[in-house]
Amino acid sequence: MSFEPKILGIACNWCTYTGADLAGTTRLHYPQNLRVVRVMCSSRINPSFIFRAFQLGADGVLVGGCHPGDCHYNTGNLYARRRLAVTKKILEFAGLEPERFRVEWISASEGNKFAQVVTEFTAQIKELGPQQKLKIDELLEKI
Amino acid sequence: MTDFKQIENNLKKEAKKLLESAEVPVVLAYTRGYDEKHPMPFAAKSVADVEKIVFNEYCNFNMARYIMRFPDAAKIAIAAKAADSRALVVLIQEEKVRREDLVILGIPASGMKDPKTDQLIDSRTTGGLYNPVEYDILLGEEIRGQKTVSPYAVLADYEAMDKEARWAFWKGQLDKCIRCYACRKACPMCYCDPCFIDQNKPRWADKAPQSPGNMMYHLTRFHHLAGRCIDCGECSRACPVGIPLYLFHKKVAKECEEMFGQAAGMKLEDKPVLVDFRVEDSDQILK
Repeated sequence: MSFEPKILGIACNWCTYTGADLAGTTRLHYPQNLRVVRVMCSSRINPSFIFRAFQLGADGVLVGGCHPGDCHYNTGNLYARRRLAVTKKILEFAGLEPERFRVEWISASEGNKFAQVVTEFTAQIKELGPQQKLKIDELLEKI
Repeated sequence: MTDFKQIENNLKKEAKKLLESAEVPVVLAYTRGYDEKHPMPFAAKSVADVEKIVFNEYCNFNMARYIMRFPDAAKIAIAAKAADSRALVVLIQEEKVRREDLVILGIPASGMKDPKTDQLIDSRTTGGLYNPVEYDILLGEEIRGQKTVSPYAVLADYEAMDKEARWAFWKGQLDKCIRCYACRKACPMCYCDPCFIDQNKPRWADKAPQSPGNMMYHLTRFHHLAGRCIDCGECSRACPVGIPLYLFHKKVAKECEEMFGQAAGMKLEDKPVLVDFRVEDSDQILK
């Protein structure tokens, strides 16, 4: 059987999540590997979410937020941009795969972009294969 | 090389003056431990305590770690080397202490040594600095003309490693961790109560010293210190199993400096980079 990755999507309520809604209502097709979690703002995302997702078996993490300057809370995504950039550098220096973590700005009207990003990202993760480095063994997880 | 005896004498003299004036109830400095090589952090609270103060090349502790332990003291005097003064600047930026409540006794020092290995630690972990960035009283001659090495030079070997080798290196190192939290205890920036790793709701990671929990603890700690770590290197010296944590902190500090153009704790009016933003930050940093 071919490898079907599990991808965690963390989407901001005001832009990316609404954009995903739009992709749905306009009947756009995109891979079903994405599990979306809605947060109120991309700055709500604690970097530990990303490390934890990888530990619990995510093969990729996609974070979506409003375009810089369009944040519903004015400045949330500007903080998030700096923070998530650091997360990426940490993944890189630890020898993990920073390609498995992606941040995209997708507005509420960009249903097309949402579908396109998810398609691209899923293809990329499929190519990378399963994420093994941080994943917790099932035996350990039960303890 | 710094004249440690002279600094010790100046430190005693100033501490005595401050404690006699009764304006400052606590002077944070160092005292003798079980031998010369192992001094201890020390809070002098009376003129009689002043005699116990020592300063030598093994006084590595970052005394900024201790300033929040005296919430009732009106004013605290603190002996601060280059890295310690940067730590104080970050704590002031983060409003953990007010500048006017501190009397910073600056110590310009070169030739500090690690008691475990007797190696010089200067260029490794003081951010390439010898003189304190912020002080009220300087306890010795300002150091000039010392060869300065880039604080990030030690990273070159690790940056050159390929990804798999780097992962093997860090996994090997972090798997050694016994979760004693000495790194957290030694760090002047680790003041959260409770620390995320001690929380039960949500429980971020296993408390047992096993690989996944260790990974979560250390990766998150590296992240929490991004743009705040002032490169004193105390985490690695405190570590009983010898994990070179300073390397990772240094790397994150380097990336922050490159991306946001500001090193931690250099100027009082700066903000730590992750609680600040610029509209013109580039999206390229996310690539």
